[in-house]
Amino acid sequence: MTETIIFYVFAVLAVICAIGVVAFRNPVTSAMNMALCFGCTAAILFGMGAQFLGIVQIIVYAGAILVLFLFVVMMLDLKTEENSNFLANISGVAIAAVFAAMVTSVAMHLPGACLCCCKAEPAKQVQQGALGGELPKLCPAAAARQLDPQADVTKADSMPDIKLLGQCLYTKHTIAFAILSFALLAGSVGAVAISRKIRKD
Amino acid sequence: METIINCWNEIMGNEVVFYLLTTLVKLVIMFAVILAFVVISVWTERRVAGWIQDRPGPNRAGLPLFLLQRFGSKEKQPLKNWLHFFGIPETSWIAKLCTWLRLDREIPTMGLIQPCLDGGKLFLKQEQTPSYVRKLYFIIAPMLVLGPPLVAAAVVPFASHVDTSFGSIQMCVANLGIGPLWIFAISGLSVYGLTLAGWSSNSKFPFIGGLRATAQLISYEVSMGLAIIPLLMMFGSLNLQEIVQYQAENGWTLLPLWGEGLSLQRWAMMLPLAISFVVFVTCVFAEANRTPFDMAECETDLVGGYHTEYSSMKFASFFMGEYAAMVIGSAVVVTLFLGGWSVGFGADAYLAGICPWLAVLCQFIMFLVKLYAFIFFFVWVRWTLPRFRWDQVMKLGWLVFLEVAVANIFLAAAVLYFIK
Repeated sequence: MTETIIFYVFAVLAVICAIGVVAFRNPVTSAMNMALCFGCTAAILFGMGAQFLGIVQIIVYAGAILVLFLFVVMMLDLKTEENSNFLANISGVAIAAVFAAMVTSVAMHLPGACLCCCKAEPAKQVQQGALGGELPKLCPAAAARQLDPQADVTKADSMPDIKLLGQCLYTKHTIAFAILSFALLAGSVGAVAISRKIRKD
Repeated sequence: METIINCWNEIMGNEVVFYLLTTLVKLVIMFAVILAFVVISVWTERRVAGWIQDRPGPNRAGLPLFLLQRFGSKEKQPLKNWLHFFGIPETSWIAKLCTWLRLDREIPTMGLIQPCLDGGKLFLKQEQTPSYVRKLYFIIAPMLVLGPPLVAAAVVPFASHVDTSFGSIQMCVANLGIGPLWIFAISGLSVYGLTLAGWSSNSKFPFIGGLRATAQLISYEVSMGLAIIPLLMMFGSLNLQEIVQYQAENGWTLLPLWGEGLSLQRWAMMLPLAISFVVFVTCVFAEANRTPFDMAECETDLVGGYHTEYSSMKFASFFMGEYAAMVIGSAVVVTLFLGGWSVGFGADAYLAGICPWLAVLCQFIMFLVKLYAFIFFFVWVRWTLPRFRWDQVMKLGWLVFLEVAVANIFLAAAVLYFIK
C-alpha cells in the first residue's frame, strides 16, 4: 500500500520535473529541475526497497553528472535558448519519436503491462488474476526471490539488491559489463587526447 | 495508575506508533547533538586557534555576574557572597579554583558564551540582498548547504541497540543497508548550494569560488569513495550499525587488539587500512572545504569566495553548514575507522550484560568523546598547515589520491586472499 502511494506521488512529481526541464527557458533552472527529477526517481526506487539503486542514482546522476552539466552551463553563461530553425525542430521531433517508441516497446514487455496484454492474451490475464488496466502490486521482494531463491528478503524491509545486482552483473552479464567499461575507458582516453596540448618543439 | 500503564502498553504495543515514537526521539537527539557540536566546534576552533598561535583567544564572553551588584548585591564580587554562604574560607583550594576559573567575574569562563553571542549578532545584523543577484537561487543556496549534512547524519549510529518489551530499538535514525553511500550521496548534494551561491551572486569572486568548490568536491568524492572499499571488503557489509558491531567485537579498524583483531590477516590489513585512513581523512578535509583545502573561499584571492555577497543569517547558514559538514565528516571517520560507539576491549558485551541501557549510555558518551577528539584534530590541522595552491589541490586529488586509492584496493584484495 505505502509503496504504491510513494510510487504514484513521486512518479507524478518526476514527470512534472521532466516537463520543467524542457519548458523552462533558463538553462540553470532546467538543470535544477533535472536534479529534482533524478531525486524523484531515486525516491521511487527507495520506496520499492531497492536502496542501492536509489542511492547510486543520486550519487552518479544528481551528485556528479548533473553538477558537471551545471558547471558547463554556468561557464558558458547561456542567457536564453537560441531560436531554432525548422530543420532542427524536425530532427528534434524525430529523435523524440524514436525514443518514445523505444520506451513504449520496453514498457509493453514489462511483466505488469496489462493494458496491452488484456487485449492480446485475455486467458493469461485471467490466470494472473490482474484487473484490466490496473498495475499489479509492486512487490520487489517476490521478484528478488524469483531471481535468487536463497536471498534473505525477510530480514529487513529492503531487498538485498547489492548482492543481487553483483551476482547479475558479474555472472550473467560479465561480457556486456566488460565491454561497457572498455567503452568508458575509450571515452576517457579520447577526452584526454582531445584536451592534450601538443607542443610545437 | 494501572490504567495509565495499560494505556501506555496499548499505545506502544502498536508497531507503527512504537516505530514513529522511537524514531522521533532519536531524531531529536541526533539533531540536538549535531547543532550542539556545531556550536562547540566553533568555540573549539577559536580557543585552539588562540592556543596554537600563542594568544588568549575568546576568554571574556560569559554571563556577566558583576551586573548582579546593580540589582541589590552590595558586595563587589558575588563569589565572596557564595563562599560566605557555604562557609568556605577564602584561602581554601575551592576558592582558589573558582578564582582561577574566573568565577569571581563571570560564569562560565573561557569564552564559552562566544558562539551564542556570535549567533545573536548574526540574527540582529541587517539583511542585505544586493539588487543584482538572482533572487530565487540566492535564497535557496544557503538552505542547500545547511540541509544535506543534517540529513546525511541519519544513518550514523550513536549507540548499540536495545531490546525492549515492545521491540528492538536501533540507536541510529535510519538503519539502512547502504550507510556510507547514503552519507556520500547526500552530503555530495551540498555542492549544489555552493555552486548556486556562486552563480546567483552574479559577481566575479563568488563565481570563481563556486566553480572551485564544484571542481574540488567532485574530484575528491571519487577518491573518497574508492578509499573505503578495502574496509568494505573486510567488513563485508554496508550497514554502519553492523560495521560498528563488528568493530566492537573484533577490534577497531585501526586498533585490532581483541577478538579476531589479533589474527595475522587483520594485522596484515593494517597497511591498506592505514593508507585508506590517510586518503579518506584528507578527502573529508577537502569535502568540508576547510584549510588547507578552502580554495572556494580563501580570502587572500577571492575576498570571501561564494559567500561574499551574503550577510546576516544567510551567511550564518553557510557558516553552520560548513561546521555541520565537519561534524558529519568526523562522525563518519570515527564510525568507519575508530570504532564508532564501541567502548572497546570487549567492554561493550560486558556492559550490555549488566544493563543494556547502561551500555547504550556509555557507548553514546564514548561516541561523543571520539567525535570531539576528531573535531579537535580537524581544528589542529587547520591552524597548523598553510593553504594549498589551487593547481596543487587538483593535482593531489587526481594524480595522487586516485591512483593510491585504486592501488590500495588491489593491495587489500591480495592481503585478504593470500593471508588467512
